Amino acid sequence: MSVTGIYILGTVIPSVVIGLLLAALLNIEWIKGRGIFRTLFYIPVITSMAAAAVIWGWLYEPNFGLVNYFLSIFGINNIKWLSDPNYSLLALIIVGVWKRIGYNMVLFLAGLQTIPKTYYEAAEIDGATPWNKFRSITLPLLSPTTLFVFIMQFIASFRVFVSVSVMTSGGPAKSTQVITYYLYENAFRYLKFGYASAIAVVMFAMMIVFTLIQFRLSRRRVHYQ
Amino acid sequence: MRRKPALPIRLIVYLAILFVAVIINLPFFWMLVTSFKTEDAAFTIPPSFLPTIFDLRNFVKAFELIPLARYIGNTLFVALTVTLLQLIFNSLAAYGLARIRFRGANVVFLILIGTLMVPPEVTMVPLYVIVKQFGFIDKYRALIVPFMSSAFGIFLLRQFFMGIPRELEEAAIIDGASRMKIFFRIILPLSKPALYTMALYTFLAHWNEYMWPLIVINDAKKQMIQVGISQFVSGWETQWTLRMAASTTAVIPIIIFFFFVQKQFVEGISISGLKE
Repeated sequence: MSVTGIYILGTVIPSVVIGLLLAALLNIEWIKGRGIFRTLFYIPVITSMAAAAVIWGWLYEPNFGLVNYFLSIFGINNIKWLSDPNYSLLALIIVGVWKRIGYNMVLFLAGLQTIPKTYYEAAEIDGATPWNKFRSITLPLLSPTTLFVFIMQFIASFRVFVSVSVMTSGGPAKSTQVITYYLYENAFRYLKFGYASAIAVVMFAMMIVFTLIQFRLSRRRVHYQ
Repeated sequence: MRRKPALPIRLIVYLAILFVAVIINLPFFWMLVTSFKTEDAAFTIPPSFLPTIFDLRNFVKAFELIPLARYIGNTLFVALTVTLLQLIFNSLAAYGLARIRFRGANVVFLILIGTLMVPPEVTMVPLYVIVKQFGFIDKYRALIVPFMSSAFGIFLLRQFFMGIPRELEEAAIIDGASRMKIFFRIILPLSKPALYTMALYTFLAHWNEYMWPLIVINDAKKQMIQVGISQFVSGWETQWTLRMAASTTAVIPIIIFFFFVQKQFVEGISISGLKE
């Protein structure tokens, strides 16, 4: 359970923040080829997690993988990403963030499009800097989208399964045993359907509770137009 | 029109975007390069960013080692069948919910929306038990029958149908057209973008599906591509050049396809998602 919690914490915030930053960048009017960049950022979303996990398995290969090669340039050597319990979850978090950035970006882009341009023009006349505008116009008006993206990402992270199944099988030493994988193993490896169903019910209840909590917490921070 | 910032700032912003785009797609580039390398060239330090062989050797070997062609055929069959069935059933159900008033229509719709909140992992075990009792295990039916329609697809199409002006239908009714005729001659042709979007989503989801086939298909010959490329045949685990060739086979057609349909895809989303 705590593995799932760490995975959720580790994926939700970076993927939402990076998604927002990319959306803000691609929303700048004078940038040419925004459509192409949007497509390029979206590619990990449309590819299957199974294939992505195989590819990342190769990138994480301890001796000849690309990740360790880049790290060795900075003097960090020989991390056994998928077979060291200290790094295996981090490895999965990186893949999880990478896979979802594009999706969050597209949701944010749709949200950005609903903000009337006149607000920015008025702010410019008042001498606002780009940061002022982002902080005082974009963020508050985008807050309903942000809440939506947060909840979608939270649910997606809760459901993580494929990368675990393909890359680590819950190991090493149960360091990546997230709840869905635990559910899967109990149901289809040990054939404990009753126990597995109980896990499913608990999982669903927790998803609902946490989603409601997020709504509650955000009530004061979300501004609807 | 807002003014552009100075050239150096523009350059920095472009470079930043380009940098992110390269980083995000580096895994796919690396997959492609590795699938065109000899085993020796793949295992060198520092790694070379250029391919060393210029034929499909690794692909041929990968197709021999695991039945990739078979997997592709299986997956195409299942994904296309599911997509076709969903187009039929989702649009019919959505039309009923959007236009025909019947007792309990709202309740049906609410139940439908309610099922959208339940993640598939939660219903996986009971669904497996049902599918097993029907005797569907190891049959394509297990991958098709439970997905003949989807709450999401019905919801998407219903929302779209609601946006079509009623006057069109009323005019057709005065001219003596039947419900089915209205559906086929007026509603469906006007809903092409939404149908297209739904079909693309459905196909992609089933092409990429991993968990469900992993559970219900044990017969290696009937497996779907995603499980096929990630399974562990003996000796497969360390043959990275072959595994990358197999991944390339599964991934690159989808990426190329996406580049072509991307415009309609996004337009479809903005039409169907932002309406109402």
